[in-house]
Amino acid sequence: MTHNNSGAAENAAESKFRVGVDIGGTFTDLFLLNDATHEFVVGKILTTPQDPSEAIEAGLREILAQANVPAQSIRQIIHGTTLVANALIERKGAPTALLATDGFRDATEIGREQRYELYDLMLEMPQPLVPRHLRFDIPERILSDGSIHQELDVAHVERLAHELQAAGFEAVAIAFLNSFINPQHECAARDAVARVAPTIRVSISSEVAPEIREYDRTSTTVANIYVQGRVEDYLRELGARMGALGVGGSLLLMLSSGGVATVETAVRFPVRLLESGPAAGVLAAAAFGAKVGAGMGQVDGLANLLSFDMGGTTAKFAIIDRGQPLISHDFEVDRRYRFRKGSGLPIKTPVIEMIEIGAGGGSIARVNSLGLLKVGPESAGAQPGPACYGHGGSLPTVTDADLILGYLNPDFFLGGGIALDVSGARRAVDEHIAQPLGLSIEQAAWGIHQIVNENMASAARVHAIERGKDPAGLPIFAFGGAGPVHAFRVAAALGAPSVVIPFGAGVMSAIGFLTAPLAFDFARSLPVKLEGSSLDWPRINGLLGEMQAEGRALLQASGVLPQDISHTCSVEVRYAGQGHEVGVVLPDDLLSADHLPAIRATFEAEYLRLYSRLGPPVPLEAITWRVVSSSPKPALSLVRSHLNQSIASHPDDARKGTRPAYFPEVGGMTETPVYDRYALAKGMCISGPAIIEERESTLIIGSGATAAVDELWNIILTHD
Amino acid sequence: MTKLVPGLNPITLEVLWNRILAVVNEQQVALIRTAFSTVVRDSQDLACGVFDQRARMVAQSMTGTPGHINAMATGMKHFMKAFPPETLSAGDVLITNDPWQTAGQINDFTVVTPIFKLGRPIAYFATCCHAPDIGGRVFSAEAKEVYEEGLRIPIMKLFVAGVPNDVLINIIRSNVRTPDETIGDLYAQMSSNAVGGRSLLRLLEEFSLNDIEALSDAIIDRSERAMRLAIRSLTNGTYTHETWTDGFDDPILIKVTVTIRDEDIDIDFGGSSPQSRWGINVVLNYTHAYASFAMKAAICPDVPHNDGAFAPVHVSAPHGCILNCIDPAPVASRNIIGHFLPCVIFSALAPVLPGRLIANGADPLWMSVWRGKRLTGEPYIFTVFQCGGSGARSTKDGLNATGFPSGVAGVPAEVIESLTPIVLHRRELRTDSGGPGMQRGGLGQWTEFGSRSAADWQVSPLIDRTKFPASGTAGGGFGAAGEFILTDGRQAQPKSIVLLEPTTRVQLNLPGGGGYGSPHERPVEIVLADVVNGYVSLEAAVRHYGVVVRYLGAPSQLVRLPKDYAVDWAATEKLRAA
Repeated sequence: MTHNNSGAAENAAESKFRVGVDIGGTFTDLFLLNDATHEFVVGKILTTPQDPSEAIEAGLREILAQANVPAQSIRQIIHGTTLVANALIERKGAPTALLATDGFRDATEIGREQRYELYDLMLEMPQPLVPRHLRFDIPERILSDGSIHQELDVAHVERLAHELQAAGFEAVAIAFLNSFINPQHECAARDAVARVAPTIRVSISSEVAPEIREYDRTSTTVANIYVQGRVEDYLRELGARMGALGVGGSLLLMLSSGGVATVETAVRFPVRLLESGPAAGVLAAAAFGAKVGAGMGQVDGLANLLSFDMGGTTAKFAIIDRGQPLISHDFEVDRRYRFRKGSGLPIKTPVIEMIEIGAGGGSIARVNSLGLLKVGPESAGAQPGPACYGHGGSLPTVTDADLILGYLNPDFFLGGGIALDVSGARRAVDEHIAQPLGLSIEQAAWGIHQIVNENMASAARVHAIERGKDPAGLPIFAFGGAGPVHAFRVAAALGAPSVVIPFGAGVMSAIGFLTAPLAFDFARSLPVKLEGSSLDWPRINGLLGEMQAEGRALLQASGVLPQDISHTCSVEVRYAGQGHEVGVVLPDDLLSADHLPAIRATFEAEYLRLYSRLGPPVPLEAITWRVVSSSPKPALSLVRSHLNQSIASHPDDARKGTRPAYFPEVGGMTETPVYDRYALAKGMCISGPAIIEERESTLIIGSGATAAVDELWNIILTHD
Repeated sequence: MTKLVPGLNPITLEVLWNRILAVVNEQQVALIRTAFSTVVRDSQDLACGVFDQRARMVAQSMTGTPGHINAMATGMKHFMKAFPPETLSAGDVLITNDPWQTAGQINDFTVVTPIFKLGRPIAYFATCCHAPDIGGRVFSAEAKEVYEEGLRIPIMKLFVAGVPNDVLINIIRSNVRTPDETIGDLYAQMSSNAVGGRSLLRLLEEFSLNDIEALSDAIIDRSERAMRLAIRSLTNGTYTHETWTDGFDDPILIKVTVTIRDEDIDIDFGGSSPQSRWGINVVLNYTHAYASFAMKAAICPDVPHNDGAFAPVHVSAPHGCILNCIDPAPVASRNIIGHFLPCVIFSALAPVLPGRLIANGADPLWMSVWRGKRLTGEPYIFTVFQCGGSGARSTKDGLNATGFPSGVAGVPAEVIESLTPIVLHRRELRTDSGGPGMQRGGLGQWTEFGSRSAADWQVSPLIDRTKFPASGTAGGGFGAAGEFILTDGRQAQPKSIVLLEPTTRVQLNLPGGGGYGSPHERPVEIVLADVVNGYVSLEAAVRHYGVVVRYLGAPSQLVRLPKDYAVDWAATEKLRAA
């Protein structure tokens, strides 16, 4: 295994195999794609938590054997991992010390000084990663204009570093006030630590998250160095295993932002890997969406989508806008209180915007003090799990309701991997929901199903509206174990025009890795009033040019050809005096005063869409200028040759049988046909009510809807 | 699409209720994102809510500040009286900052937008925000009448059928020190209401509804029933408590009598001090707001907040008392008194809700208004909010530097410094400020402000608990009192405008929360951890907790790990036995 970039460039021309690898909590998914023939192989093996690279090696051996391909011909492995998130949530990073400006070592504990819930007298604030006795005051001070108020006491830093090393510490975060304006002291302190204690890893806030607001920046920097050792060890181990296997190509890591980066960048900024798995799922949605309807007359695909990923404990939604996921620069990891904003640790890095709520198969249903039925966010998890798992769970969950409603096959859950206990599910729903509310068990189960769908639809709706999108206009792209079971009703609640259920929904993230372009993003802060004469256009153009040059250099070093590189420039604009901005995409040519009316018009249109009315008659100001430099997006096309499954010539031949399932539009429990997804041929149509089963999930089609199979084996649900 | 059947079943109701809560959260997000002042966008001194045709609050957004939320709920009745539905047209926006009609302070603008369907107003979205400046004297408690405190705007139209009321806007602009921010925030409030209205109309369309009256009946009835049920579980009786607070010159007594009668609660503040000559008086609206907030947090925290939650809570205070002041009493710093009310009520209720309430905390939010000249010579005015420690709970420590009952956030040092020549020299947790107890009170903060500018500057610190620290509960000790210190050695009066030399620094040291239970029952290992982390000093561990900890490391050592400390068990047992 080599991480050498020029090596990757040479290989790029010859070998045609790429592998996506996603490590999840339970399974490690692999997806091998032949870029020339579009044939693919899927691998799914149990995750090996003590050394996750072990499962990757085993998985690679398996898919290479299955595809009969030598390891040497792999051009690229693109990888995402929950390692960073898990280390933060389980607090399993390195013991870390924080060096802060004298008088400000408590920034991560003082936080925002605000309760995230008004009425709960018992709430708790997130615990900082660095305990107070490891947070140190450093004599130094830089002011908001970058001027030095007090010189850094280098000797003090050296003394401290010496003591830390002697005490066995390996990680230090440095976050000084106003370092996002002038990083001089942070750099000097980092160098001082390196001189005295070369084995200590150091992250400085001006590199990890150079943005105003000391709490968020410090929190991000601490998280970064806290996990760095684990990430580096892991990637080294993985590299060694790949080397031993003889894999020839390069290893790239998926970032939360949906771009990919080299191992070197990933190790430097591991906190940027935080949401890599979920991000890849969203990328897959974008890539599949672009091709949806192939062979069905829809040549343009779906450029705008709502990605919907529902698993065991949570559901995640993301918006795909004109083929691209939306990016946010605000994120919190480890939200401890009902996924409530403010109850987690702030992380300031670019991340694909997603809303995550506590709604999954394991979400527990209960009747609250108002006599209303509530579902989630508490989850039965994998242990004890839903009542129907028979592992000792007695509280009713969404999976129990879905089983009672006939949506799940008790003998074919996870392809028959777990036998479900219907009577256990009925008992739980009866005792905790049906009896207290005076409903039948089916009515109660239907209530649970409906409410979890509504919870998800509401979250998706707020998320969409916050981003100025109309949720009723967005087709839904559903995956995850429970996604296809609930997608039809969630779509109805949102008024979505259609639902797409991809083939391979169980390995979506692994597929998503292969759709990401190599990309780097840059930002420079240059606040200016967007008014005619005072603007220094050469400086702005220079700034944008600089960032493009950096991007070009990094991409070329990673093996991208100069002619394949593209840049997108944007600027964040607000009414002068506001605190939040609206992103405005800039034209490709050199900027001048002539562009001002167009920039203002774009800003106003976006502002109106987001906030319903324009702001006061004041000038606009631009704050942050951004450039994203990227390689072309790899084209995604799949050919199902390795499936060796007999495909039916008529839908009836794909029918496995019938079972009673609940469809209120046709009078409740109704004998419903059940189809085998693997037997459905391209172009086939099935009318609801119907059930389509595959190994990892079950698709429920309500009455009044039709399911059609397209060229990529996606199933597309539409209302008649 | 789902049709709403008359007689909402519990499942449809849950669906719609969730939906309407989502709508007010959208409203709040829009407000924060479009606001101009740091008061709104960083500190979130705001409230958002939706009201039905009968001016009843149906839902409020997730965070915000109780004084605004509940006072806005009462204020809506005044809006409706001033502008009955027939006087409104689509595109109208109403406004007032009248303290007696809304949030009890002339800086707080309430903006109301009627939402029209089929030609009639079917709901009202309202927001209440603290304006960064409203003219008059600089924000302090020194005014003798409300007229000195700034420009007072009766309930008026800010927009008429979509057209700005330029007369009013120009008058506001020319009366305030921060015209762009003050007006900008009003635009943000209008945008936020409009975003809420847009989503509500979509919801109505989807469920084929023409208004929300049936829904609001169901929501309010259910909430009221839940609240009444919770009250019924309490033992009937009359419970009292009284507490002294700093006041301006003379201390102020707050006395409460809580009477639980089956399903109703009367909260009366008779016996409290008469209204003050200084601007620390509270209008009844605001008294009501914090009293009803306290009851809900105490007995029914998980029920969404709306008009139903107020119904069983009856709040009264004698006319002319500090908690029901008479127009034109000065009211600018009313939160200094009003924020005490929840913990005073909790103290009264302690016997009926053992273990469920919190000890007294820093209580009032500390607000300081800074004024001076930038390096360029232009004047600035800037508001900083800060929080002390909150009271300990029966099973948990109090929260360090986290506000209660206010829901307002602090302002990052870097934001303060980017907008003003102020330099923060310290913002650090205050060792030993948390009241000792089996559960420790939350810590306050040490903070120190200086100026880079060569010009004189001034501060108006609206702060409390400098004379009367937070008491503990069930044997817990007092939190530390707050401190207002000038480094030039002068003594200065909190709540007044204090003039500062350029080189003077101002220390605002925030109070800690009271403890819960006897400090001698706090496990020794936890006291040790508190010492290691500097929440409690070695001396205080001995004095308050009866725990003798020895530091074993070298005096010059910078890195002091848990292994560098040891408990002297023999000495500790002896102290704790005594």
